[in-house]
Amino acid sequence: MALVPFSYSLRSLAVRRSATVLTVASIGATVAVLAGVLALQQGFSTLFREAGRDDLLVLLRPGAGSEGESFFPRDRAAVLKKSFPEFAQDEAGPLVAGELYLGVRLRKHPALGGGETNVPIRGVERRSFELTGAGLRVLDGGRRFRWGHDEVIVGRKLVSRIAGCAVGRRIRLNTTEFEVVGVFDVEGPYASEIWGDFERLREALQRNGYSRLVGRLAPGADLRALREKLSGHKQIQAKLLTEREYLTSQTAALSGALLFLGTFLGLVMGAAAVFTGTNTMLAALAARTHEIGILLSLGFRPGAIFFAFLLESLLLGLLGGVVGCLLVLPLHGVETGTTNFATFTEVAFAFRVSPTVLGVAALFAVGLGLLGGLLPAWSAASKLPTEALRRR
Amino acid sequence: MTVPLRLIPRNLFASPLVALRSLLTLASLVVAVFLLCILRSVVANLDAGVQASSGRRLVVQSAVSLFVDLPLSYQAKIESVPGVAETTVFQWFGGYYQERSNFFAQFAIDHEPFLSMYPEVSLVQGSAEDWLRGRTACLIGVDLARRFGWQVGDTIPITGGIFPRAGDAPWEFRVAAIYRSSSANVDNHTLFFHFDYLRESLESGEARGPRGAGTYVVQLAPGADPIAVAREIDALFAGGPQRVQTSSEAEFQRQFVSMVGSVPTFLGSIGGGVLFAIVLAVLNTMLMAARERTVDLGILKALGFTDATVFALLLLESLLLAGVGGVLGVGLALLCEPVFGAVLGPMFGGFSIPRSTLLLGLGLAVGVGLAAGLLPAWRASRLRCVEALRAEA
Repeated sequence: MALVPFSYSLRSLAVRRSATVLTVASIGATVAVLAGVLALQQGFSTLFREAGRDDLLVLLRPGAGSEGESFFPRDRAAVLKKSFPEFAQDEAGPLVAGELYLGVRLRKHPALGGGETNVPIRGVERRSFELTGAGLRVLDGGRRFRWGHDEVIVGRKLVSRIAGCAVGRRIRLNTTEFEVVGVFDVEGPYASEIWGDFERLREALQRNGYSRLVGRLAPGADLRALREKLSGHKQIQAKLLTEREYLTSQTAALSGALLFLGTFLGLVMGAAAVFTGTNTMLAALAARTHEIGILLSLGFRPGAIFFAFLLESLLLGLLGGVVGCLLVLPLHGVETGTTNFATFTEVAFAFRVSPTVLGVAALFAVGLGLLGGLLPAWSAASKLPTEALRRR
Repeated sequence: MTVPLRLIPRNLFASPLVALRSLLTLASLVVAVFLLCILRSVVANLDAGVQASSGRRLVVQSAVSLFVDLPLSYQAKIESVPGVAETTVFQWFGGYYQERSNFFAQFAIDHEPFLSMYPEVSLVQGSAEDWLRGRTACLIGVDLARRFGWQVGDTIPITGGIFPRAGDAPWEFRVAAIYRSSSANVDNHTLFFHFDYLRESLESGEARGPRGAGTYVVQLAPGADPIAVAREIDALFAGGPQRVQTSSEAEFQRQFVSMVGSVPTFLGSIGGGVLFAIVLAVLNTMLMAARERTVDLGILKALGFTDATVFALLLLESLLLAGVGGVLGVGLALLCEPVFGAVLGPMFGGFSIPRSTLLLGLGLAVGVGLAAGLLPAWRASRLRCVEALRAEA
């Protein structure tokens, strides 16, 4: 079967420029919205998932969904720290640390319009820097807080988002003022937190225990056995997760909401884009009936005409996809922040226009083009040459 | 002048192809109006709680953190402040029914003052006496009752997330009454129960968890100045052990809106942009369709239809299409209201489409109809019959 030359489809698009631009714009906008929401979701969930370490163990109170809900009295935690050979050991003892976690009320940076938000604060112990804080690095111009002093270090991502998060400034927690002595950077969601000495923060915030315990799994130790041991233990009841499991669980609610939003907007707008796409193609068709008659009388089979018109619509979809992707690409790496529903604290993360996002967007665009083109193409192919050639 | 109205549907469905195009235009409009209604409602609902807040109630919370409890001893001290009429504890319970995903809010409150402090809450089933008497009594909102099919007299097992009971057994609350709130600041999706029950269970060791109060809600005495009272309460605890922050109910609600951050603006601008694209496309196809009808219009004029009749005919046609699209779009949005209520309600405390949004949706549709109808109608009324008949489609 002789196919209608590809240039015919291309030229047809070029001839009816305004209609083409309009259709491409509506498909592009739809694709951009879908890709934008997906990029947000990807940025958020990879931040948590990829930072999770499999050999780092997190212990929570049974039934607690996040460390904000979890609590260990100090005496019970002390027993826990010592009793399990599954935790790695060195000369200084078991590699376990207790941490205090609380979302504190602070004001957003004036550049973000002020307003209150909840910023996670983490009281850490010395060993935390070998566990949660392994790889933590204080940026130039600052230093780590000193143990026993009212000093804190703030995550890099807070500097531009939260008021007062700069070296030399003071943050008031309840009735105590803490001096910011450094800005730190670290992988994962921790770069949106404020860190200080557990003892000092515990006293200032009037807490009397830990929120969670973290420990390193000894090489070769059996995670499952430890998990069973802990859940069956009489005095110490604890839920054991790897850090990766814990962080992944923290993304479920917001990720789900974003995916729901993206799907909803994508479907509704996609429907509209298909309708307008079909409609503009049909309108164009009406004006081109004569042309189709000529094609048919030149000997092109209806199948060839069907493909030519479908191709035209696919090209529209593809162009729309390219426009949509180009629209969202500048978003890549743009930092934003929102409240994570799991802990009700703010977390900063960057849009991630990953290959997956672009792939989904492109497929979606082509799908829209295909759906929008089926009907007009079929209608074009089913014309009779004599009728199509006849002028009204 | 009489307009042959019969011609309108005949024109819109002149041939299968034309009918299809009319339907597609209609469908695009339906989608546009639907999207407008839903997106605007999401944004409006976030703000509804703030808008509906009472000016006569203050909320006392920790100045340090949303997640820190205030000592129970604070309540008596707050009540001693002049201008304070009544107070109740509001303690977030954070439990769940069967599954964590069955999320809804539960609050432990002082059962006696609650009903008098919240006149917007009225009991539609069950009795206030039952609520006041029973230790394990609870009030549930109408939406919540409908969601799980709960009725007065039922016992609801709630697993304590923050307050686990010994042996991890669930808490059991008996439904004393079902309430309906007439105002958006209290949603119809909450379970309230006696704070005394929670406190006694913690004291007796039946349950574990923090012993304090998340917030105190203060009812102002008539004539009391909210700002002065708030300042006085804050000053009471400025030296610790827990500093407090007293704000109006509206301010308190606003912090939750502020948490959601820029998402509503983000949504709004996306929706606006896409709406614009859809409307433009609809407009374009309607104009294109009108242009192809030059010959038809010539025939009408040759038959003796006046310029005014042709004008009215084309305008009405466009308005009818847009109007039907608008009504269907609004109808679809209303139809989906319960679905969105079920999905978003537990998180955002209900979902309803404001009347103003429905009107805006209809207005948008009519606007598109006018814009797409006026130009072709005007052109048609100016058309000279001889030229029109000679025109090629």
